[in-house]
Amino acid sequence: MFRHDTPAEASFRTEVRSWLEANLPGSLRDRTTRPPPVELMPWYQTLSRKGWIAPHWPRQHGGMGATLNEQIVMTEELARIGAPHLPVQGLNHIGPILMEFGSEAQQKKHLPPIIDGSVIWAQGYSEPGAGSDLASLATRATLNGDHFVVKGSKIWTTWGHHSDWMFALVRTDPDAQPRHAGISFILIDLHSPGIRIRPIVTIAGDDEFAEVFFDDVVVPAENLVGKLNDGWRIANALLGHERLGTSNPQFALQALERIKVMARATGIIADPAFQDRLAAASINVTALSAMFSHAVELTNNERSLGPESSVVKIFGSELLQSLNELLIEAAGGHAAMEEPVATNAGVVDVAVPFLFSRRVTIYGGSSEIQRNVLARRVLNLPA
Amino acid sequence: MELNLTSEQGLLRDSAAKFIGAAGPKIARKFRDSDHSFAPQRLREAGELGWLGILVPESAGGLGLGLTELALVLEQAGRGLVCEPIGLAAISAAALGFAPKPLPLLSRVMTGDALVVPALQERAHGDDPLEPSTEATGTGTTLQLTGQKMFVCADGADGFLVSASGRDGPVLCFVARDALGCTLQPAETVDGRRLAALYLDQTPADLVSPYPSSRDAVDALYNLSLVALSAELLGVMEEAQRITLDYLRIRKQFGKLIGSFQALQHQAANIYLRTEAVRSLIFQVAGNNEPWRIDPAMAAAAKAKASEDALFVTEACIQLHGAIGFTDEHDIGLYLKRAMLLSSLMGNAAAQRRRYVAIAGLTA
Ligand SMILES: Cc1cc2nc3c(=O)[nH]c(=O)nc-3n(C[C@H](O)[C@H](O)[C@H](O)COP(=O)(O)OP(=O)(O)OC[C@H]3O[C@@H](n4cnc5c(N)ncnc54)[C@H](O)[C@@H]3O)c2cc1C
Repeated sequence: MFRHDTPAEASFRTEVRSWLEANLPGSLRDRTTRPPPVELMPWYQTLSRKGWIAPHWPRQHGGMGATLNEQIVMTEELARIGAPHLPVQGLNHIGPILMEFGSEAQQKKHLPPIIDGSVIWAQGYSEPGAGSDLASLATRATLNGDHFVVKGSKIWTTWGHHSDWMFALVRTDPDAQPRHAGISFILIDLHSPGIRIRPIVTIAGDDEFAEVFFDDVVVPAENLVGKLNDGWRIANALLGHERLGTSNPQFALQALERIKVMARATGIIADPAFQDRLAAASINVTALSAMFSHAVELTNNERSLGPESSVVKIFGSELLQSLNELLIEAAGGHAAMEEPVATNAGVVDVAVPFLFSRRVTIYGGSSEIQRNVLARRVLNLPA
Repeated sequence: MELNLTSEQGLLRDSAAKFIGAAGPKIARKFRDSDHSFAPQRLREAGELGWLGILVPESAGGLGLGLTELALVLEQAGRGLVCEPIGLAAISAAALGFAPKPLPLLSRVMTGDALVVPALQERAHGDDPLEPSTEATGTGTTLQLTGQKMFVCADGADGFLVSASGRDGPVLCFVARDALGCTLQPAETVDGRRLAALYLDQTPADLVSPYPSSRDAVDALYNLSLVALSAELLGVMEEAQRITLDYLRIRKQFGKLIGSFQALQHQAANIYLRTEAVRSLIFQVAGNNEPWRIDPAMAAAAKAKASEDALFVTEACIQLHGAIGFTDEHDIGLYLKRAMLLSSLMGNAAAQRRRYVAIAGLTA
């Protein structure tokens, strides 16, 4: 946006842009919700064969080992062309967790299928009774010789019904105090006997997530990541990365483009009051890009980006919502239409992205929880 | 979030922080109640530290550093409510120093012996900096200017860098304080400083020789002003935040520290959020632009965001203090007033957003 590319970055940008133009199917561009796996995974695999699926992973694990600026160039070019939102549970969550805490055998077994897209992962943290208060989770895993027996359920599991494996937080010591000291981090094969999965339809009309029931499911003990009862630390260690991932400015940039097209089509673009809000929104997108690259730069320098990542999460998610609020305002009477709106500049989805954006301040730690974290852990306010 | 600085930049920031250690609310109050806006001796000290020539190329006797360094110093100046016009002097020196043939005055501006400040703004809501209504007539390097500028930080200034429309477009000129036909009409600001209207009537002026054209000189100085004001606003936000967080940690009501109330914790988080967004934005703009060629859309974005968020933050800080925050006795009000001043100069948030719509091609 306001960085000037070095000559090397400029040529990388040209390469990425022309490759995307040639390889990203038109049907996958500017999608507002995540396309289903039958449509999305072939694209994932195309990116993978090109070697571009994991820019932030080190080369030894099949990543690109890209520099920060190369990662940003990628992000910007993916946004420009309207590339779809990829499943991130493997790439951004369990992949990095296994690189840091997994055994060599676990890395060997699980990392390559993430890179080639042959296995889809789900995150099993939330439960019906444990949302923001995750440490109260109740799904039991009882160690029985060489295996765990898992009983309980997980909910709001993104792509649960499309996934092959789940990384889950389970209770292995029911009496531990504090409660989070009795939680372990395990890997569950979702094709195991005793598992039932129920997709859940969202307000945006898609089946983004699911409820997963475990009825005495057998999980080999070797699927434990790290030590027994050490799951809380592992889950939290990489939360910073997760929060960063959800605030990638790619989504904000796409939303901004959609607003401009819609505002031109309805003519509201000429209204000075609207222009003022559009400028404010656009300036905030610029600020988000700056914040995001600032945060990525700090993590790349291996300075720990702990609770500060909450700031990027709040800013990015609330901005995305305000952009979508501006979108329905730009759309005027089209705001509540279920189908995408045909305009002279192309078809624009309005209601669905607006509805879809309501989730971003809830998942990955709600905005309220992030503010609690900032107040206590960064600003050191009293309890 | 911590900035990723080189060790030299870290040292520079530390020495700026040390310099402002001797400033702060007490000194700001002293100047508020006196006829002088600042201490000339302190400006010369800033000159000795090299800060006034921070952007001036080494070939012209400056430090030849970039916008990041300027922002680091001005951020501290904002934190300390510094009264000496370090930012104005530094950007004026830069504008003089970018010229292939700098005016002889440059070296005295860099030492702080002479003060030159920009005089670009003509209307309350900012304006197109490249189409000033002030007129320049004549040819060669000595021109005559007629027109009027507003909100000039003229106190203690020996001269001004004035934008005007010449035969071939905008030009940047130096006008001496005591030049013929140059009059000032000062008025007090809320924080006890003064801003003046500057009237020029056939006033002789020296053309600041163009780099590479005089149009660019006007543009460069204008965008530099926006970045400089934004960096200072960032410092104001930071210190207001610090003072307020301290208060939340000591004030008790209902038998508890008020900082333990969630509503206040969330507002404190909002203050932090705004401050960090401004910090990331300013240092990205600073890190990615050359001082004499700042992307105008980026400068407008920075000033719009810093202006709006500094007011949000300092207003919220008053609220979090309760009645004590409403008193003149408490320092937090000084930060609100400094934010009012800096955010209003050179086009407030709304004015910069209006420019941004046009420059960034949002409606195209
Ligand atoms: C689209 C989507 C995808 C998701 N995907 C996954 C997934 O793949 N895997 C997974 O494990 N989970 C997933 N989640 C679940 C998500 O992590 C939880 O929704 C989230 O942690 C909030 O929990 P909850 O929904 O139970 O809300 P609750 O915790 O019941 O919160 C209700 C409201 O109360 C507020 N609140 C709660 N506690 C406090 C407090 N202490 N202070 C102030 N306010 C408070 C919340 O902010 C919220 O506004 C997903 C959620 C969504 C929406």
